[in-house]
Amino acid sequence: MTAARTGWLLVLPALLLLAALTVYPVAYGIWISFFSKHSFFPEQQFVGFGNYAAVLADEEFWRSLELGLIYSLTTIALQLAIGMGAALLLNEAFPGRGLARAISIFPYVVPTVVAVIIWKWLLNSQFGLVNYLLGIPISWMGRDWIMVSLIIVSVWQFFPFVLLAVLARLQTIPPELYEAATVDGAGAWRRFVHVTLPQLQSVLFVVVLLRSIWMFTKFDTPWLMIQGGGAETYIRTLPIYTYQRTFAYYEAGRGSAMAVIMFLMLVAAAALYFHFWRREEQL
Amino acid sequence: MKRGILFSGVSVLLFFTAFPFAWMIATAFKRSHEIFTTPPTLLPESLTLENVARLFEQTRFAVYLGNSVLVATCTVLLTLAIATPAAYALTRFRFRGREAISATVLFTYMFAPIMVIIPFYVLMRTLELTNTRAGLVLAYTAFCLPFALWLLRTFFQSIPLDLEEAALVDGASRPRAVLYVVLPLALPGVVATGTFTFILAWNDYIFARVLLAADELKTLPVGIADLYNASVVDWGMIMSAGMLVLLPVLAVFAFIQKYLVAGWGSGGIKG
Amino acid sequence: MKTIPSVAALLLAAAVSSAHAQKVIRVWHTETQPNSQEAVRNIAKRFEAKHPGVKVEVEALAWGDLEGKIMASLAAGTPPELSHGQPITCAALQSKGLLLPLDEVVQALGEANIWDQVKRVCRVDGRQYGLVHAAGTSLLIYRKDLAQKLGLKPPRTWADLVANAKAFTTGGMYGITIPGDNLFINILLGELLKANGGIFFDQQNRPQLGSKPMLETLEFIRDLTRYAPPGWEGHGYLETFTNLYGQKAAMMYQGYGRGAGLIEKGAPPAMANAEHFDVWVKPVGPSGREPAAQVDEEPWMLFKGSKNPKEAVEFLKFFYQKDNYLEYVQTVPIHLFPITKSLRADRDYQATPMIQRWKSWIEVQEGYLNNDQGKPTLVIDWDDMNSKPYLMEVLGSGILRDMVMDVALENKAPREAASRAQKRLEDLLKSKGYLK
Repeated sequence: MTAARTGWLLVLPALLLLAALTVYPVAYGIWISFFSKHSFFPEQQFVGFGNYAAVLADEEFWRSLELGLIYSLTTIALQLAIGMGAALLLNEAFPGRGLARAISIFPYVVPTVVAVIIWKWLLNSQFGLVNYLLGIPISWMGRDWIMVSLIIVSVWQFFPFVLLAVLARLQTIPPELYEAATVDGAGAWRRFVHVTLPQLQSVLFVVVLLRSIWMFTKFDTPWLMIQGGGAETYIRTLPIYTYQRTFAYYEAGRGSAMAVIMFLMLVAAAALYFHFWRREEQL
Repeated sequence: MKRGILFSGVSVLLFFTAFPFAWMIATAFKRSHEIFTTPPTLLPESLTLENVARLFEQTRFAVYLGNSVLVATCTVLLTLAIATPAAYALTRFRFRGREAISATVLFTYMFAPIMVIIPFYVLMRTLELTNTRAGLVLAYTAFCLPFALWLLRTFFQSIPLDLEEAALVDGASRPRAVLYVVLPLALPGVVATGTFTFILAWNDYIFARVLLAADELKTLPVGIADLYNASVVDWGMIMSAGMLVLLPVLAVFAFIQKYLVAGWGSGGIKG
Repeated sequence: MKTIPSVAALLLAAAVSSAHAQKVIRVWHTETQPNSQEAVRNIAKRFEAKHPGVKVEVEALAWGDLEGKIMASLAAGTPPELSHGQPITCAALQSKGLLLPLDEVVQALGEANIWDQVKRVCRVDGRQYGLVHAAGTSLLIYRKDLAQKLGLKPPRTWADLVANAKAFTTGGMYGITIPGDNLFINILLGELLKANGGIFFDQQNRPQLGSKPMLETLEFIRDLTRYAPPGWEGHGYLETFTNLYGQKAAMMYQGYGRGAGLIEKGAPPAMANAEHFDVWVKPVGPSGREPAAQVDEEPWMLFKGSKNPKEAVEFLKFFYQKDNYLEYVQTVPIHLFPITKSLRADRDYQATPMIQRWKSWIEVQEGYLNNDQGKPTLVIDWDDMNSKPYLMEVLGSGILRDMVMDVALENKAPREAASRAQKRLEDLLKSKGYLK
């Protein structure tokens, strides 16, 4: 068997699964965006780009885009900062490190529902611990603070993703590189910039890309925050609004159009990302 | 790193991470009316197991937990089985379409999962896989696969080709070279990928909600969300559910801790 | 690696074969309280025992998820046999011809035995397309002990209610607590508008948001929420209950009978009774004539495309039989009112301890129902259910809720908020073809 054949054979199961279970639904979604279709009922009517025009003219769409951007950019930045910081700390040797690592990953491991419930309880304006400790009755689920609450929960829940990826990579950096740098007279900060960061480059590239995609399209966390009370209007990000268009306004066509627009935005952003950070990464 | 920074950094980190859990556990052991008093008490005045008891007596929590463990484990096994050889092939073999595959993989992620739900449901229905855990495993595998491929590819890329070449020159067949040289080095990556996959499957709410109907097949996120939305919010019971959710996780981490230990990478890469 | 395809094949085969063994009835409902779920499961088991070869698959779902699931199943062409749904959902589905009539069940129960109010839900051309599982109305709950101390009288007008709220607001206690989420704001708006003699849409489906009754309603909500705890817009339905028995608020405009159970569980033991938490009849608006309350009454719906509708009809008949139905309604006695006069008059039902303890709550609800003052969400007149099949979309769109929030939170003038919402509603109705 030639090398190429072996290669294809190894890749085939993955391809088949992806084609059937991912590509088909996506293709259907794109297809339906050109129709006016009630989400419940089978009738549909071809409208060409009508849905897209309506979406772009919809004031709510732009508002949710803005909210979505605020949400994703802030959470990504914070997740990166805290995740990397945590990884650097937990890479050092100290007694109880194993336990500390395990604990640091906990937030990522609990289902979103549990994370949201715990924080909603902590941030409860009447009985929550946070307000008690702060001494001021902040309405965490109200219009002024709910975005902040959402960001807190999302950062708490997902920073361990960054932590895990970076830590695993840190483990494989040969200590000789650091020794060499120290011999050359580099202090901690310079070692970080000149040895650690370059080694982390490929991992960070993937991590930032994935976290960006996932935070921009994140649905579960804001949705569960809204259930059972939460000022929805102020965290109505793009995925939430898209879901509502489909499942509450019952306009599957328009909802799909919004999803396609989100997709195109991500593609554009990814293209820019690859262009600036490419270096050795192949697409 | 200076000891002072290390100590305070780790303390803050652990507090930020663990305190909400501590609060959850404290609430799980409080009696109902103590939960709603102000000022809130940090430690329960009287420890009670009644919340946990209610959780097991009145709900099917044990069943949900079992389902989640089963589905997540199967997803990990299936995903790794499919993704590891594929990622290896993507970095080691030259064949046409290699680059295109990577691009497609990434693009499929950019389409928001929530929009995929209805066609996905229709597809599962046609395959008669709705309301089965097998269907859910397939769904999660499909969802985790792109990411697993991507991550594993990064790890395989960081392992220099020279190592395998050396083994092949020494007379080993390719499978042996892979098994004894490459995989051990990629192990942290495989473990990390397996962990992420487990968690993605463990955490998912929306696929489980739409694809499963029967109560006895529900996974934890759906089961707990239903408890939360039930007309009587039993905070003590919900918090004990959250607490118990941590237990299998602790078990998993005790196991994988060893594999994230330093020292794997530095061994054979001397030039 | 070779084992994986064979395992997958095995799983697939198992899944396919198990589906064909017996007749399966799928039943979806929204009573997610654990004891209610158990009651339905018990009823299902007893039915299976009597009908070998039939399996009943019960699932309890929360609100937000139910609609999505129904939709997904309809899209796949495989709806369940029976499901709960909102009255306006039932009307919408029926208008598209997706439901089967339940007249056979009505006959089995006795047409005269069912409360008139209940029969008006989802009744089209003399046929019953939805049968309510149980009814409960919204309630104005208040702290009786505090009211007595302050010498407050039952509010007859909206101005009275605001005055009472103001009087209650003192020393860390707020006058009223209201849920801020979409469903409840819509419910509230519907009730208040009806109590103020207004309508949402005219005969030509044109929204009437700029009308005097609506503007007065918006002003009332703004004035009332001044006495609600800050951040009320983020309070969910259950949180308003914890506010009530956690002693942060003295009144609830949208309580339900379920609250009696919550109070007994969560309030300090000495206070967990009707002496401390009682109900007032809701007041009337300046342009209205009589009070109005919303009725929480989801109908059972029988889907046309389902596999075993006949067995499902038998199941429903079984469900409403005295012993089964009694077990069901006793899981939340003050909230789940039986739809049959026979069960309401039944001695076992009357002897339910909770009913004895909270009699006044039952009486107020019966008052609303008997005087036809209770309607489902967003329904002003019974006619609306059939003539306005777009209410479901209006509810889901959140436009009305945004309007209320504009006035109550963003301090916009009612006229301005109303005209913005008017435009959005007109766009919505036009895009669906209901408005020219």
